[in-house]
Amino acid sequence: MSQLVQAEITGHAEPVPGVSRIEFYAPGLARAAGPGQFVHVRCGEGSDPLLRRPISIHAVDRQAGTVKIMFQVVGKGTAWLARQKKGLLDVMGPLGRGFTTGQTRRNCVVVGGGIGAAPLYFLLQELAREGCARQVKVLLGARNAGRLLIKEETERLGFAVRVATDDGSAGHGGPVTELLSEELQANPGFIYACGPVPMLRAVCGMLESAGVPGEVSVEERMACGVGACLACACRVREAAGGENYRRTCVDGPVFAAEEVVW
Amino acid sequence: MNTSVNLGGIKMKNPVTTASGTFGFGLEYQPYVDLQRLGAIIVKGTTPKPRAGNPPPRIVETPSGMLNAIGLQNPGVERVAGEIMPRLAELGVPVIVNIAGDTVEDYALVARRLDGVPGVAGLEINISCPNVKKGGIQFGSDPRTAVEVTRAVKSVTGLPVIVKLSPNVTDLVGMAEAVAEAGADALSMINTLLGVVIDVDRRRPVLGNITGGLSGPAVRPVAVRAVWQVYRAVSLPILGMGGIMTARDALEFILAGATAVAVGTANFVNPRATVEIVEGIETYMRENGFSDISELVGLAHRA
Ligand SMILES: Cc1cc2nc3c(=O)[nH]c(=O)nc-3n(C[C@H](O)[C@H](O)[C@H](O)COP(=O)(O)OP(=O)(O)OC[C@H]3O[C@@H](n4cnc5c(N)ncnc54)[C@H](O)[C@@H]3O)c2cc1C
Ligand SMILES: Cc1cc2nc3c(=O)[nH]c(=O)nc-3n(C[C@H](O)[C@H](O)[C@H](O)COP(=O)(O)O)c2cc1C
Ligand code: FES
Repeated sequence: MSQLVQAEITGHAEPVPGVSRIEFYAPGLARAAGPGQFVHVRCGEGSDPLLRRPISIHAVDRQAGTVKIMFQVVGKGTAWLARQKKGLLDVMGPLGRGFTTGQTRRNCVVVGGGIGAAPLYFLLQELAREGCARQVKVLLGARNAGRLLIKEETERLGFAVRVATDDGSAGHGGPVTELLSEELQANPGFIYACGPVPMLRAVCGMLESAGVPGEVSVEERMACGVGACLACACRVREAAGGENYRRTCVDGPVFAAEEVVW
Repeated sequence: MNTSVNLGGIKMKNPVTTASGTFGFGLEYQPYVDLQRLGAIIVKGTTPKPRAGNPPPRIVETPSGMLNAIGLQNPGVERVAGEIMPRLAELGVPVIVNIAGDTVEDYALVARRLDGVPGVAGLEINISCPNVKKGGIQFGSDPRTAVEVTRAVKSVTGLPVIVKLSPNVTDLVGMAEAVAEAGADALSMINTLLGVVIDVDRRRPVLGNITGGLSGPAVRPVAVRAVWQVYRAVSLPILGMGGIMTARDALEFILAGATAVAVGTANFVNPRATVEIVEGIETYMRENGFSDISELVGLAHRA
């Protein structure tokens, strides 16, 4: 169950310029969290910025009771958060519906673009724990070699990683979706993806044509984070036919690839 | 110490409730708040039929506030009465259902359906939505239609009726007097203030709906002023809201004349805000030697 905690910051790093990674101590939260879920973090003490900011859970260490988040500085809230090197963080979580893993999903491809790699690392931790690192392909995209995230730690977990950069400074030169279309030739059983909207839209289109199931993590602006305010509407196709809005904070942020209306 | 209040026939064990639309149907906040500590729970605006709501983005943050344009997304009165109320009723906390519609008949239909449903202690009429039949003019900005809605609802329900006033009018006191005359049992204020935010990089409005309603600490002085003026003019009990984050903010409304207060946007920032406000009001009363909350209501007018 989700909890509201004042969590002590136990680590801070800047893996690439403009991206921060914060570790905090929250044993209950670490125990309850699953990959793809997020925390809702207060970014300041006053009323500006006012609302909490949703940030995916990047990694957990259940033994140590710690949780990591990784985020890009894009505005006031994330700028404040990036300055917090010690002290307490006001955190709610774990929130939302995350990725589903298990037997039938083992022969899978995990695709991340930019900061979208953040929640995928937690997923990879789980997949490694389930003992299927060797069956899983990981594709990571970034603007250039200097902005690649989670590559080394993912390799350390035992996964094979393929890289794509927009400028060709590392791996394949071009969008990461070009690597995905190669991987789709090998008939993978399942795809997990997180990244910018254009990438996710392209991924969902490719999965539909290939007839491969998958899950994507989407973002919407949030206020409450608990399903009460209806701010975070995501348009989805209903199984029964027709379209409807669902709440990204409780029905998502992970949705089945075929559900999302882009 | 007595903190119980009577809001136009709705008996609350303390003056703190939740602002409609910010607390869902209450159960969403159960992991964080002991709902039984609340004086009442006001739930999301309910219409005759389910509504899908507006296209996203539906919110945007503003300095010390936020704009929302949810578009009255709700499951419709049938599901509220049949599925949600039975679960809420078990809590034993008075539930006030906020009702909305496009026509006078819509309001009456929802009110009639909720009459006698266990757990429903009162209705709050949201007259700040556009009147489709009258060309999108808000019920809340035309005293004649506001009076019509109030009368229509009163005539089909035995429940206490709170009329929620919009601040987007030139004569708030006139509106309050008109709906009081029409039979309202209490008044609530304020609903959100209309606003627009433009994304300068993309050179277009941020919200899918273009306009949205401003709430949060930014609106508090406007809301306290509304309570202050209406308290002087109308004798009905007032439910005050708008930017209440702490017990001291709530006390401002009570001192200005509010019998009870509703906490809205604050829930998003601090999910325990409601309960902390209940406790903070008790502490204030103890420290300042007040034994009954009613001694504080409107006290600033007598200073
Ligand atoms: C479920 C979820 C998980 C997320 N996980 C991560 C993560 O792991 N790492 C990370 O870096 N970011 C993540 N985000 C995005 C993050 O929440 C926003 O970048 C952050 O709220 C921006 O706050 P700010 O005050 O810095 O920027 P603001 O000043 O509020 O806005 C700056 C820019 O960010 C955009 N923005 C604002 N809020 C959101 C939002 N909720 N979603 C998307 N864009 C937004 C605005 O359109 C604006 O262009 C996640 C979002 C969601 C919904
Ligand atoms: C996300 C959101 C949804 C709301 N939905 C409703 C609603 O359905 N009916 C209504 O009468 N008021 C609605 N309101 C207005 C609030 O009930 C309240 O009047 C207003 O937000 C001012 O209080 P606050 O500043 O404490 O939030 C909504 C407000 C917000 C922020
Ligand atoms: S953010 Fe409030 S319902 Fe999702």
